[in-house]
Amino acid sequence: MKRTLTVCPYCGTGCMFYLVSQGGRLVGVEPSSTHPVSRGALCVKGWNAYAFVHHPDRLTTPLIRDHGEFRPATWDEAIATVATALKSVQERHGADSLMFASSAKATNEENYLLMKLARGVFGTNNIDHCARLCHSSTVTGLTEAFGSGAMTNSIACLDDSDLIFVIGSNTTEQHPLIGSRIMNAVRGGARLIVADNRRIRLSRHADLHLRHNNGSDVPLLNAMMQVIIAEGRADRAFMESRTENYPALAATVAQWPPERAAAVTGLTPEEIVAAARLFAGARAAMLVYSMGITQHSHGVDNVRSCANLALLTGNVGRPGAGVNPLRGQNNVQGGCDMGALPEFYSGYQQAADPLVREKFARGWGVSSLPATPGLPLTRAMNAATEGRIKGMFIMGENPLLSDPDQAHALRALESLELLVVQDIFLTETARLAHLVLPAACFAEKEGTFTNTERRVQRVRKAVDPPGEARPDWQILCDLARSAGYKEISYAAPHEIMAEIAALTPLYGGISYDRLEPHGLQWPCTTSDDPGTPILHREHFTRGRGRFIPVEYRPSAELPDEEYPFVLTTGRSYFHWHTGSMTRRTHLLDREERSPFVELNPHDAARMGVREREMTQVTSRRGSILLAARVSDIVPPGVLFIPFHFVEGAANALTNNVLDPESSIPEFKVCAVSIRRVP
Amino acid sequence: MKQLSTHQLITLFASLEGGWDVRLPVRLPDGTRAMGKLSDAPPALLGGPLPSKPTAAFFPQEEQVFMASEGEIRPSPTPERPLLVAGFTARDLECLRFIDRFFATAPRDDLYFRCRETALVAAVTGWCGPAGSFMKMAQGGCDLELVRDQDEWLLLSYTEKGMSVTRGVPHRHDEGRLERLRQLSTTATGADELLLRSAAALLRDDLIPDSFWREIGDRCILCTGCNLVCPTCSCFGIRDWRSAAQTQRSRIWDSCQLEGFMREAGGHNPLGSEALRSRRRIHHKLAADLLRWGEISCFLCGRCDAACPTGIGIVSVMKEMVSRYGKTTTYMTQEGVSTVDRSSRIR
Repeated sequence: MKRTLTVCPYCGTGCMFYLVSQGGRLVGVEPSSTHPVSRGALCVKGWNAYAFVHHPDRLTTPLIRDHGEFRPATWDEAIATVATALKSVQERHGADSLMFASSAKATNEENYLLMKLARGVFGTNNIDHCARLCHSSTVTGLTEAFGSGAMTNSIACLDDSDLIFVIGSNTTEQHPLIGSRIMNAVRGGARLIVADNRRIRLSRHADLHLRHNNGSDVPLLNAMMQVIIAEGRADRAFMESRTENYPALAATVAQWPPERAAAVTGLTPEEIVAAARLFAGARAAMLVYSMGITQHSHGVDNVRSCANLALLTGNVGRPGAGVNPLRGQNNVQGGCDMGALPEFYSGYQQAADPLVREKFARGWGVSSLPATPGLPLTRAMNAATEGRIKGMFIMGENPLLSDPDQAHALRALESLELLVVQDIFLTETARLAHLVLPAACFAEKEGTFTNTERRVQRVRKAVDPPGEARPDWQILCDLARSAGYKEISYAAPHEIMAEIAALTPLYGGISYDRLEPHGLQWPCTTSDDPGTPILHREHFTRGRGRFIPVEYRPSAELPDEEYPFVLTTGRSYFHWHTGSMTRRTHLLDREERSPFVELNPHDAARMGVREREMTQVTSRRGSILLAARVSDIVPPGVLFIPFHFVEGAANALTNNVLDPESSIPEFKVCAVSIRRVP
Repeated sequence: MKQLSTHQLITLFASLEGGWDVRLPVRLPDGTRAMGKLSDAPPALLGGPLPSKPTAAFFPQEEQVFMASEGEIRPSPTPERPLLVAGFTARDLECLRFIDRFFATAPRDDLYFRCRETALVAAVTGWCGPAGSFMKMAQGGCDLELVRDQDEWLLLSYTEKGMSVTRGVPHRHDEGRLERLRQLSTTATGADELLLRSAAALLRDDLIPDSFWREIGDRCILCTGCNLVCPTCSCFGIRDWRSAAQTQRSRIWDSCQLEGFMREAGGHNPLGSEALRSRRRIHHKLAADLLRWGEISCFLCGRCDAACPTGIGIVSVMKEMVSRYGKTTTYMTQEGVSTVDRSSRIR
């Protein structure tokens, strides 16, 4: 019996646990008693995180499509074929006809390597990952306001807060060990405001539950700020010493008295005033948000509004406060940190900056690096349908289920001359590929993940990968060599981290020996830097915190006569994203076996739909069949569908309209109709 | 009586590894204590109950039942060496006794007894608790008891198995010392045991309103940790993994806090609300098992309280029950007999 300390592969909370193995097979999980986040506890996904690893569906050999069918191949043949095919697309259509999709499920080292492969070997900035679909709005909005696009505070700060404002985050289900910490803080006397039109579990513990209309966050937050300023509750001293551009903010929010916002949000003016007073009256107010803020065609504006509210009340740069985007995936923070983004190299070093490119070219031993701006993932899918992207390399993502407008995603993937998918299961996307490379999962490799509070933690190998499957980092190195970049050679992932640290000031002080036992929080710039639990303490990363006033822009597609319901999508507690792991985990699959739509009892009665009856939900993009779950969790007029299920894919319905700045899709609002299937 | 220093005791355990699969409390790299092997991590006998349940040695989170291929069913192989499991507290042994009886009840659970029957179970008691506190002596219920006293371990064998592994250790007479420890153990009956009886009486008398369970249910985030760390929880599910060549059947810990635990195929669920499931978790231990097995099946090991992210482990819930609904002066008697005025019965 062996125990291996590692990081949970599900959400961005970053709980650590021990994988228990016997005879080379995982047989269970035991929580770490001493970890600062999980503290001896786990959520149901954590307790079951071992259980998909030995599933018989795991990919065990490279697959090459031959006359329409997959055939097993050797690694030598597969790597040579992939390298040749990628080179061929590059030579015939130009480097920018290639797109590389990295993975928030993979380690920092692997994200860094794929970024290096895209830029250094294939000469394109077309590198991105699924942060595009979750927190690209945060990276854009918070970088602009504060100079850093990450959670400003630490999870432990919830213990020091006397008011927690959760907006657009179903925290107990999506970040359970953070949600439970919020519940504990409330029992300890902290006040709680929940702004979410679903009656989520946290709302049962809230002092104030604001069920504002989907997509009306900007009016709500603007009106709260209007009240705070009008009632003299703003933190003048903080604004004067630490911020800039206040007059512009004041002018904008002055146009949003609570009565006007009430008409847009569906709240009463009194609710808005109460929220404003609660927030501004707190000694330390902590703002927590997630996809409910970011996944809109005005996601960046939502993020800016959150930042404005914190700046206005002096709630940045101190314990128990801050603007705290909860990152979704286990390593989505790390994926961004490593520069798996079209506009940044690792550590948010601008790809547009010639000095940055020169530095990386020198570090990597290549003559030059591409200057052409890269495409975000979502725009690359659009470009594929237009024939501008010809080849796509996808590591550990499943866009056919996770991207908006499934028919569009299918068209994009089917338009490609070359699709290579590297994954642990034959996902819906991998089934479309020309080549499939079998990867090791989190339990079968070494590396690091960075959690939502910027904590870089060690991932450790507990068991061998199945069959011929190999860690992503090894596959990427082989691919780089096969494509002609002979200089790439690492004995183990710690050597990749050494290179990352050398080229990335944010991670300059990170090395594996310093990550024992529970990691370091970046910025960690030197080998004796203890890390940074709270950002922006003395000054903002950009100098002064900047108010960026925003005006309300409605969601792109609103209900009408033909499609009278608002559809909002998300996750269920028991499943993870496209279900490739959780639907292969016995207990999690048992809990949530099939797709469902949440429907308010009032609407259900009106539509003649009863609990568990089959319904058809239709949007302008598609139509799916799924069972009704009649529940007052959703308000009248709103439907909720989780996006895990291929047989009732929520993203067959969603709208591929993007935020103009962050290119995030509007997963949270589109118009649909529902009818009972007789 | 036999006694050894910690170093000598560890040496003894190491010397037994040829004949036994020895597992004892160890300290893992981040300070977490677990039941492990000496070859994996340094021993950590001090510190009290382990965070994970020691009964997992016989009933692990996941266990293969059989492998079926080409018309043949092969049960999972019996381990080569018997288990020697040290680290049970006196309360853990009560838990072990409870699930031993559960798994022995017809139909007898062969998989459980495959490892259990041949195992040597050792208790670790005495001055070895958290922050050097005293852990009640077991005085039986195991093969061997290791009692910590004044930087030494007293070795008490209760069975032939226990004697066989301590045979080489010289005997010393110091009955007075042992008697003092036994005395301490008798007086170590804690307030929590009174709490247990008070809470059980409240449930038996149906004095806990449904609204209380709704409140507890609201605080449950369905992590299942309470069940998974509980040494007397014995529920498991069956998982079949089928591939072209074979079928592998395993059993995996289940949790009554999950909606799917009691959901019927048609969708009906007799435990269809969080309130009902939260009530069941406590009621089962404090009231239902009392009727079925003649005893309360919570032995106050404290693991569910440590593993619960929101503070609704059984001890916390019992405290809330008793403080809100108990007539405390009446309930806090040694006998735990309620004399509550029935007119106060809450519906």
